[in-house]
Amino acid sequence: MRVSHAVVAGLVVVGLAVGAWGATGETTVAGRCMTCHKEKSPGLYQQWLGSAHAANSVTCLDCHKADRRESDAYEHYGAFIATLVTPKDCGRCHKREAEEVGNSYHATAGEILDSKDAYLAHVAGGEPVAIQGCEQCHGGKVIVDPQAPNKLSKKSWPNTGVGRLNPDGSKGSCTVCHTRHAFSKAQARQPEACGKCHLGPDHPQEEIYRESKHGNIFYTHRNEMNLDAAVWVPGVSYSAAPTCATCHMSATSTQKVTHDVGERIAWTLRPPVSKHKPDWQRKRKNMKEVCTACHENQLVDGHFYQFDATVRLYNEKFAKPATEIMKLVRKKGLMKHRAAFSNKIEWTYWELWHHEGRRARHGAAMMGPDYTWWHGIYDVAKNFYFEFLPEAEEYGDSEVNAAIEKLLEDNPMHNWMDRPTPELKKEIRSGTMQETYENLYGSH
Amino acid sequence: MFRRYLRFVRALSIDLVGRAGVVLVTSSAVVFLLFLLGNLTGVVTNAYVGLLSFMVLPALFVLGLILIPIGWYRTKARTGLSLRELVDRRFGPEELEGGPLGAPLVRMLALMTGLNVLILAIASLAGLHFMDQPQFCGTACHKVMNPEWTVYQQSPHSRVACVECHVGEGVKAHFDAKLNGLRQIWLATFNLYRRPIPTPVHTLRPARETCEKCHWPEKFYGNRLKTIVHYGDDRASTPRYTTLSLKVNTSLEEGGIHWHVARGITVRYASLDDERQEMIWVDVARPDGSHTRYVNRRLDEEPRSEDVRTMDCVDCHNRATHIYETPVGAVEARMRRGEIDRSLPWVKKVAVAALSGSYPSAEAARRGIASNVAAFYRRHDPAVLAGKAAAIDRTVAALQAAWERNVHPYMNLEWGTYPSFLGHRESKGCFRCHNRDLQDETGRWIPDDCTLCHSILAEDASGPFQNLETPGEKDPLRFKKEYLRQEFLHSLAR
Repeated sequence: MRVSHAVVAGLVVVGLAVGAWGATGETTVAGRCMTCHKEKSPGLYQQWLGSAHAANSVTCLDCHKADRRESDAYEHYGAFIATLVTPKDCGRCHKREAEEVGNSYHATAGEILDSKDAYLAHVAGGEPVAIQGCEQCHGGKVIVDPQAPNKLSKKSWPNTGVGRLNPDGSKGSCTVCHTRHAFSKAQARQPEACGKCHLGPDHPQEEIYRESKHGNIFYTHRNEMNLDAAVWVPGVSYSAAPTCATCHMSATSTQKVTHDVGERIAWTLRPPVSKHKPDWQRKRKNMKEVCTACHENQLVDGHFYQFDATVRLYNEKFAKPATEIMKLVRKKGLMKHRAAFSNKIEWTYWELWHHEGRRARHGAAMMGPDYTWWHGIYDVAKNFYFEFLPEAEEYGDSEVNAAIEKLLEDNPMHNWMDRPTPELKKEIRSGTMQETYENLYGSH
Repeated sequence: MFRRYLRFVRALSIDLVGRAGVVLVTSSAVVFLLFLLGNLTGVVTNAYVGLLSFMVLPALFVLGLILIPIGWYRTKARTGLSLRELVDRRFGPEELEGGPLGAPLVRMLALMTGLNVLILAIASLAGLHFMDQPQFCGTACHKVMNPEWTVYQQSPHSRVACVECHVGEGVKAHFDAKLNGLRQIWLATFNLYRRPIPTPVHTLRPARETCEKCHWPEKFYGNRLKTIVHYGDDRASTPRYTTLSLKVNTSLEEGGIHWHVARGITVRYASLDDERQEMIWVDVARPDGSHTRYVNRRLDEEPRSEDVRTMDCVDCHNRATHIYETPVGAVEARMRRGEIDRSLPWVKKVAVAALSGSYPSAEAARRGIASNVAAFYRRHDPAVLAGKAAAIDRTVAALQAAWERNVHPYMNLEWGTYPSFLGHRESKGCFRCHNRDLQDETGRWIPDDCTLCHSILAEDASGPFQNLETPGEKDPLRFKKEYLRQEFLHSLAR
């Protein structure tokens, strides 16, 4: 009798278990994902397991579950999922962050598809380098391929470009900075996260940071940075040094954290001629507030006084004249080949502003002296005087040559070339040379 | 009688050759019988003495028997006498006069012939018996066979003779084996064999004839619980438990692992080469006559006919007997058995580092392992060196033995030379076929779910049944545990 009771009880337990099995909830489906992925992609699994997501019961399905009607949804061991996780998906929980990212300049980076950079990569390079070289930073258009096992075309996946154009209409990819599957705050707060793209000859922000005092102190005192703090405020949770995130994004005593990286940037240092961004006074004020977590006001004002002058120097002395001459050359149809970037002078002009000019401006912004001068204005000047102008003169066009002559003779910033060196040195010592540049400094 | 025998053999030794024959026959027979006695009583077991007694001595014996008539033939040719005349000369008339049982010479010849046949019969039988003993296979070609012999003796099949699996049944199998043996003697003598020896996948006996004599398919039913213990690289070498409920049954309905060899199921495959690591296609035929072919979508090679094979035991159990360990596996097994002292700090880490060092010889390995272990403690924890000297010595000895078991420099046999296909830890194992590249025409692949072959009751966990315990609300793995617990209960109820 007893035995049969035990058997019945056992059967009931097993029956319940099987019943529960039949009605598998989302949680056990996630458990199934984990079971296999621990074996088949253990690195990914371990990263997740150590993440804040795991600690807060955010599972595979919370990010990857998909409605079967979605274009990139596919069936994977009985569950409908999508490989691609977009800011819209992340925004289900991280609403404010997703909105800020969506409104940021970062989110527009995918528009490069129509810009000069992408044109150059396609004509001078070719599609593979446009995919790997341009779109991996800027973001490409994610193409859904119904034949592919994960419904994504191999030409557009993997892609974690910051302005990725997602099939659900959202822009960007959170994993560009918060690398999957750990999504570590500490990682995104360190300069290497930004250095995934912000480096190299055309925008060496990571290298400039490394040269700067800020970077210098950071790399020395990295372990004092309290990088994984829940709330990370300079002067409060850490004080060793600022990183990219500190100045451009993180919370301060007076400002909230923002995922719109442009909120504290007053100049655009990207185009041939720098301009102030809309609402630039507020943005400059935001940045200065960050600085004052560590510095007193006079130092902060002094830095921006110097920085603004260097930007204007670049604008007035080189960028505007070069742009004018380039316009004239184009207008008069002097170039041999028709297509953009098919003539040497176009590459010369391009490097003047896109490489050398940006290096100078970024170096000035972030206190990298070598980038401001030797990698910066020095290279700009060398290019301007000894490549760009001679190449323009080679066309033998009277109008162009007149413009160049006028610039070199009449412009007080350029008319040093035909004067005796001792006289110029005397002017530098006496300060009269410097007066030429006095109007570049702002009032503040 | 003895004098008659002496007279007989003296007369038989017609010239130098005949005398040599008689001496050979007599001495080899006597020595053979002595060795046989030694062997039967268990005094002599050495394989080389065995080779001498059962191969060399009988050969000399036969050679002697051949030399005697050659001697007679030579004398006949030299003297020009007839055989009758020679017999008359060599044997006295009293030997040739007929008695009631014929002439004494004829009787002596009959007796000696009977004796010779008897000795040869004994020698052949004893020789065959001797060559069926693992001792012979394992030590006769000792340099070549030493690795396999070493691991065989420590294997689950150490009480099953080599010939049970490697020779097979019947005269032809025996004949083939001996012929192959001759070839191997040739290769060994002139040092023509490859080192390490490639696994003889094409000449292995069919598993149906060998393995299934003891392990027939219907024998596998139910699930088998297995707990694997891994130790951490931390100071305490903390144990971590993985417990699997292996679905080893043969049942067609339940589809357990041994389904592959169930009656009526034929699984065939074509591999890229005889390493059998990469499959070109896999084909399964079912009892109802249906069959499915899964083709590797990443390969477009055509298989060579010798690489098409019907799956049997050894396709998974490729190291059922000659089991080589990995450095980590060797250390963990000895830790679990207590041969490596777990009370030594960092012992797992130290032991694996010492064992996996690259040593050119056993002697170098013995020295290197001892000095590696000592150097670690001298640098990181000198107190252990003095305080736990005995434990260190025991650990070092266990590691040295483990090295000598698994690594054989003469045969170029290193860690990992012969990986096991069981499971999926040492090699791709099951995933050689069970992967998403092998798809049928509808795009379905051979299932590769983790719980297809085993339920997981614990995985690198602090306890052996962690997934069966109720997880905490904050446990990040609670969904996984819940899923695996339900899967296990479901597998039991099936």
